[in-house]
Amino acid sequence: MFEVDMVFAFALFSIGLYGVSSHKDFLRLFFSLEMLINAVILMLASSAYRLGIVEAIPLAYMVMVIATLEAAVGILIFAAVHKFTQSTIPDEMETEVIV
Amino acid sequence: MNIVFLTLVLVLAITSLSAKNSITSLISFGLMMLLLGIYYITLDEKLLGLFQIFVYTGGIAVLMLFGITLIGTTFKPTKPNPWTVAIAFGFFVALTTLFFVHKDKLHRIHQDVTIQDGLFASTFGDMVILFALIGASLLYGTIKMINVIKPKRRDDV
Repeated sequence: MFEVDMVFAFALFSIGLYGVSSHKDFLRLFFSLEMLINAVILMLASSAYRLGIVEAIPLAYMVMVIATLEAAVGILIFAAVHKFTQSTIPDEMETEVIV
Repeated sequence: MNIVFLTLVLVLAITSLSAKNSITSLISFGLMMLLLGIYYITLDEKLLGLFQIFVYTGGIAVLMLFGITLIGTTFKPTKPNPWTVAIAFGFFVALTTLFFVHKDKLHRIHQDVTIQDGLFASTFGDMVILFALIGASLLYGTIKMINVIKPKRRDDV
């Protein structure tokens, strides 16, 4: 069953990769990034349970904390930039830097 | 049972990326994270599963809901690059091939490892710090987001 878990984790990672590379909308980019991170967490959890590699679980917690920080700060930055540019696509967000 | 769970996760992942309405997309995303959390619980990683459900379905989904209140409920149509599907599929095939080539080494690790008893009790302090970090970051993001969304009071009116 470890093989099944890993194949599904790879599939989730690939879907996330497709989302990151094809979509330009901010929220979809975020969903895709979270999918990439969750694929890694799935791999770690599966290897801890199926192979008995207990060191994977603290690593999974650490990855989850980093994902949360990234989401909280990223959405905040987006909200702040969106307020001035009125755009949801990061490529179109051009702001003037006032010195 | 596991295959049904994981297939549903993949279907919800595709739905959250392909839906035109951002609320549908967010609900699919939240359900996907919920299913992954339940799957971790079935894998006997109860704390990780609960962590997943609280953090993703609870915290990050609500933060993204704040984001949706800013941008509106429909996504702008964008032209997807046809090569990206091929690249993602190629990546999947490459990862799967690499995994099956090196699978025997992973099983060799399994024979040497002894499962430690009381791992959770020994790492309880670290877990509390992690929970505090996650809670603080989500709280900070939510409060700042409310500040950003809130319209400024006009003194001249």
